Amino acid sequence: MYLLEHDAKQLLARHGIPSPQGCLLTAPDAGSQLPPGPWVVKAQITVGGRGKAGLIKKAVTANEVAETTAAIIGQQAKGRTVRAVRVEQQVQGAGEAYISMLLDPAAAGVRIIMAAQGGMEIEALPPNALHMVTVAPEAATLAAAAEKLAASFDGATGKALAEAGRAMADAFITTEALLIEINPLFVHNDGSWVAGDAKFVTDDSALPRQPEQHALLADSNGPYVETALKDTHGCDYVVVDPAGEIALLTTGAGLSMMLIDEMRAAGLKPYNFLDIRTGGLRGETRRLISVLQWMHQGPNVQVMLINVFAGITDLGEFARLLVSALRDVPEFKVPVVARLAGNGMETARTVLVEAGITLHNDLDAALAEVRGHLKGRK
Amino acid sequence: MISPRIDRSTRVILQGISGRAGRLHSRLMREYGTNIVAGVSPPKDINEINGIPLFPDCASAVKATGATVSVALVGAYDLLEAMREAVAAGIKMIVTPTEGMPVHDALKAKRLTQQAGVLWIGGSTPGMAVAEVAKLGFLPDVSLKSGALGLMSKSGTLSYEAGFRLAQGGIGTSVWIGVGGDPVKGVRYSDLVPFYAQDKQTRGVLIIGEIGGRDEEDFADALKTHAFAKPVFALIAGRTAPEGVSMGHAGALTYGNHGGYASKRAALENAGVRVFSSLNEMAEKIADVF
Repeated sequence: MYLLEHDAKQLLARHGIPSPQGCLLTAPDAGSQLPPGPWVVKAQITVGGRGKAGLIKKAVTANEVAETTAAIIGQQAKGRTVRAVRVEQQVQGAGEAYISMLLDPAAAGVRIIMAAQGGMEIEALPPNALHMVTVAPEAATLAAAAEKLAASFDGATGKALAEAGRAMADAFITTEALLIEINPLFVHNDGSWVAGDAKFVTDDSALPRQPEQHALLADSNGPYVETALKDTHGCDYVVVDPAGEIALLTTGAGLSMMLIDEMRAAGLKPYNFLDIRTGGLRGETRRLISVLQWMHQGPNVQVMLINVFAGITDLGEFARLLVSALRDVPEFKVPVVARLAGNGMETARTVLVEAGITLHNDLDAALAEVRGHLKGRK
Repeated sequence: MISPRIDRSTRVILQGISGRAGRLHSRLMREYGTNIVAGVSPPKDINEINGIPLFPDCASAVKATGATVSVALVGAYDLLEAMREAVAAGIKMIVTPTEGMPVHDALKAKRLTQQAGVLWIGGSTPGMAVAEVAKLGFLPDVSLKSGALGLMSKSGTLSYEAGFRLAQGGIGTSVWIGVGGDPVKGVRYSDLVPFYAQDKQTRGVLIIGEIGGRDEEDFADALKTHAFAKPVFALIAGRTAPEGVSMGHAGALTYGNHGGYASKRAALENAGVRVFSSLNEMAEKIADVF
């Protein structure tokens, strides 16, 4: 999961990395729970470039906080809607440095990156400003390497990077992180420091043994809805366009992504990404029923396209489960277009035809039929 | 790195053979021609599955059969330990189709296999195959036709579909390797460049990539470093995927400038790779030039 900044900072605080005082607001607030001002109001959304998009604003009075909060909540960036802001005490008179730890998949290690300047994207810094090293994924090794790397910086910056590096090494290993980036790291003259911004990517595969991360999924309609769905239902479902017109019942992450890319290139508007994992259905309709119910929530969905390439899965059994699930979700009334290929195709054809669903062998023919079902289009 | 090229004499064990996937795929692999000589499974009342003799651990299986390759079909949280056992038993190549191995476990597994000189294919891999000879993992027979195209893929399903369409158009594969969709994986595209360069059956290479990580960029660099002379093609999924959300594969996650489509396409094209925008275009254009 790519954590919201607020969640990232709370998690980091528990692992010895402090941030400026702040609170999370989901609606404008007159100021009762605000930390001491002045403030910075930051949209909580997991996309980069919030500053440039006008989603981070300073505020001097509590009224300004309320106005800015009202203005930012509900805004959209890259298809995501801002549902909350973090209101944080501004840090004044501090220098800005950079520190991150991330996976190095080629070296099977953790890369530490430090720089004396922070606050901008690190891609904008000259390469010689970045000090980096990759070491084994082990807490003591990582902490020692971070201290050593920090020793190449002077004075307060060096002291702050060493301390933050030691704490981050422990946090990275304990939380099984994929990336922790603090940019900027605010550094005061005496070497004391706090995390100005935090980017924290955790490992969904480690969730069962990371209870403090798993707790973030408690609100199944919260910011990590996709991870929560996967945790509960065992499949990957992402609404890629809330205004999308075509629901997709697909299996396989790569093939499903590719289908969405190709449909969009052809001017079609898919509603969702789905990797239902046909191999994991185990003869039950439960997962299919849930998926059809989610699709029914798409206000503009006019047709459902099924695309399954079955290497191993028996399409006959899949078709039977599908017809049964459709019967159990009668409120989802859209036309169904199916394209199946592989194992058990002939049985699948019989089952689907009986249920009034046309089956295509060819994806282009299926897409042509999908087009025919869209209102107001040729 | 040892060669991933297997044949019908390569001796293979299956760790986790008594599970649902182990029972099914030991049969399918054997029917395809894979020489599965042993299964590893906790001791029970049975001593064989699908005619394959069972052993309580890797060491005894390897000792009795001389196996050099393992396919591990165990749970995600048991995988690291299963790999340790296989490496300790002297296995030289491990294929791990299991999805959901924790990434920090994968870091340890990668160091372990690197230090022991073991070739690791996975995690979350659909497997690998030498078409019409033998396969390790789940690759469907309908997509496997023997030919001259080396194929590497992060995704299972997208590669099945691609292989199927290519086969329909008369294009077959030489050595097909599913590198898998995890962010930290064993063998990566770039590691396999020297192998495909010297492999005589291979006259060109197709990589099926997706957003997330730097595997495609590193592959492009490796093509230049090794002055790879055979034609290279690529298909990359996830061009329009939203930022900040994993798209089915743990590795398919973009954030900020990290892992995006544009950087991959530019790096590949800069290395002389022909990047296709659709499955149809891929199947048609490869058939034209190949």
